[in-house]
Amino acid sequence: MLSTARLGSALGRLAASLFLSLIFTTLILLIAGAPPIDTLIILFAGGLGSATKLAQTISVWIPLVLCSSALLLAFAPGLWNIGIEGQIILGAIFAAGFLRPFAAGGSPLILAGALLAGMIGGGLWAYLAGALKTWGRVHEIFGGLGLNFVALGLTLWLIFGPWKRPGVASMSGTEPLHPSLWLKEFEGLSLSPVSLVLALMAIGLVIYLLRSTRWGLSLKAVGQNPEAALLFGLKPNKRILESMLACGALAGLAGALQVVGVYHRLLPAISSNYGYTALLVTMLASFRPQFIPPICLFFAALNVGSIQLPLQLKLDSSLNGVIQGVLVLSVFLVHGLEDHFRLRRKKK
Amino acid sequence: MRVEFKDIHKYYGRVRANVGIDMTLEPGRIYGLLGENGAGKSTLMRMLAGHTEPTRGRIFFDGKSPQGFNPSLALAMGVGMLYQDPLDFPALKVWENFRLGGKKRDRKQVLKRLQELGDRFHFRLAPEEKVGELTVGERQQLELLRLLDLGVKVLILDEPTTGISVRQKEMLFSTMRQLAKDRGRTIVFVTHKLAEVEELCEEVIVLRRGKLTAKLPAPFRPDELIKLMFGSEQKGTEADQRRHHPAEKNFIQLESVQLLGEKYTLEDISLGIRPGEILGLAGLEGNGQELLLRGLAGLARVMKGRLIFDGQELQGRPYLTFRRSGIHFLPAARLEHGLFPDLSLNEHFHLAFPPQNGGGHKLLPEEGLKTFSIQAKLSTSARALSGGNQQRLLLALIPRKIRLLLLEHPTRGLDHGSGQQVWSHLLERCRQNTALLFSSADLEEIKDHSHRVLIFYNRQLVADRPTSLMSVEEMGRLMAGEGRAV
Repeated sequence: MLSTARLGSALGRLAASLFLSLIFTTLILLIAGAPPIDTLIILFAGGLGSATKLAQTISVWIPLVLCSSALLLAFAPGLWNIGIEGQIILGAIFAAGFLRPFAAGGSPLILAGALLAGMIGGGLWAYLAGALKTWGRVHEIFGGLGLNFVALGLTLWLIFGPWKRPGVASMSGTEPLHPSLWLKEFEGLSLSPVSLVLALMAIGLVIYLLRSTRWGLSLKAVGQNPEAALLFGLKPNKRILESMLACGALAGLAGALQVVGVYHRLLPAISSNYGYTALLVTMLASFRPQFIPPICLFFAALNVGSIQLPLQLKLDSSLNGVIQGVLVLSVFLVHGLEDHFRLRRKKK
Repeated sequence: MRVEFKDIHKYYGRVRANVGIDMTLEPGRIYGLLGENGAGKSTLMRMLAGHTEPTRGRIFFDGKSPQGFNPSLALAMGVGMLYQDPLDFPALKVWENFRLGGKKRDRKQVLKRLQELGDRFHFRLAPEEKVGELTVGERQQLELLRLLDLGVKVLILDEPTTGISVRQKEMLFSTMRQLAKDRGRTIVFVTHKLAEVEELCEEVIVLRRGKLTAKLPAPFRPDELIKLMFGSEQKGTEADQRRHHPAEKNFIQLESVQLLGEKYTLEDISLGIRPGEILGLAGLEGNGQELLLRGLAGLARVMKGRLIFDGQELQGRPYLTFRRSGIHFLPAARLEHGLFPDLSLNEHFHLAFPPQNGGGHKLLPEEGLKTFSIQAKLSTSARALSGGNQQRLLLALIPRKIRLLLLEHPTRGLDHGSGQQVWSHLLERCRQNTALLFSSADLEEIKDHSHRVLIFYNRQLVADRPTSLMSVEEMGRLMAGEGRAV
């Protein structure tokens, strides 16, 4: 269990990283010719300033939390599941595919079916990356990256091919779903209570699995030492496949929710790079579940706030990605420096 | 080079690793450094090799005490250390690793030099092989050759004889003598084995609880050394030597088994094992005993022949079938292959003893710590344990009902007391009809504990005889490929 002292030092590291990234960001903004303070205010106020914006931020927070929780399961046995991006996409494809016969509308049961289909899609895609690793000796980073491209190609093919809108095939995606198949939203806000509950359940479930179950402990053991895990009879390959399957299912759920809760159709960019962002979040959280929700909130706020940049300051919204990247690099720098100084102190 | 330790203290927080060490090492002499685990030997040697600085006091090399002493400076001054866990680069090829830090040479020159040095010690190292694929012993050999090539003036050897044959040991010892006598090298030989100190060293330094308790010239009296190391005289292993008798009938039968390893195959092994029987496996590392242990554990493939366990054919079956049949294997590299470095002891117990099949034999973790005298808390991570505690933890994690135990170097790197503890536990298990196969580089250990000895040479089983019919000298000769088994 985490001691208060260790939690304190982790928070200290986070604060130092934030401070460092603030300095770097300011420098970048100055170079880009933007007023640093105004920009930062817009970035944060833009994501948290009003109820509407907060709802928007939370609707970004949901897939981020789902994917980051999913990644915790993959990181436990030491897997770098970079293929999570493709797993989100497959979740979206399966959900959209499941709903195609119901163009005239359907019951909430059908909606639940779509979410389940999404989990299966994401899970299968992740299982494939896992199988490539355990049976084909393809490292999960390469396997996952390859499968990401395949997934992206698959969406484009579906949108411009078999699932194209009658008459016009376009980047704006497939025919919108029947409104009865849209997830209900809070009154006047673009935020679905079902998605929110699912995201909270996901992080809770992952924390429970990793902290309190033998399965979670086995995953960690495999990550620590696969050879010893084999000797202990923990079936490392099976554990790897299971963790990939679970991770992919949660990512697929995120993808399915984007379809039924946010865009109400299949889009080419349905994943919005949330998978990659979630990788950054998980690393930033040093793989500690308790840091996932706040860091996701921070990233989501930045995401939403950055939409205001082109409108108010004529800056490109990709600046948001730069800031997120700088933040993660700052964390690594702080970690690295801390280790370095700790070693030096030890030697003294 | 003359090395003087002047009032050396080293504290880690409240732990006093070394206290007021004063001594001088003269050139051309071979020193034995004796002491129990945790007596401060490694700390003292790590300071000499520049890995850590003394809290107080200084070390002088020929009267000079350089500022900011570090490992590369130490090496440049001629202090080289051969570690028990070799500091090498698994991703490099043998010849590339050998070249590191040495003179500028092209590949051809490196290969020639490596061949020369290798021939001198009869170390068989394939230059194109990856270092990561070598056994621990082979990696030590490589590192030793590299240090000799760098021309070190002070050579520290941390248990160098682990994993090499008697013959090689003799050659190594004669080289040490030559290096000391003819070239004026200072040699510090860190060991637990009194016999080796007697054989090789001209002077012995004994540490106990961080303090220098004695610095004596040869000849040594073993009982006196034991007293200096441990404080009081300890009984020899003979006490628990009333060897039990194994059961009559074989329960494991190997019939012309061919085993496929990662690097070689072991041909035509036929062998019977009885319940409660203890078999010692002797051989140079890489000569077959590792593969036999792994084959019996279900970790290496049986290509031909039959492996019968309790009337059931196990060849071709997965590892878990072997494990469920009651076969348990403990590897030599405890932390690297046997434990989960960052998981706590408590978590290790939970992984080893699933709650659902406790079956009345559920071992409480607290009990485990006490029974096996593991000096740590349940929340301690495996990484933080000493070698002895790691081995005791591994023993504590063995399921209760085990039919066959397979151990690699059960007491490697352990001090006398820990080694005895390990053996008293193993013998207790064997009295309850568990068969035990263990490999060891310490022939005395094999002689002391096994009913039968299996000797491997050149990747073949060359002898399988009752221990009572074989002397240590004869084992050594067979291991080195001299003489024929009857």
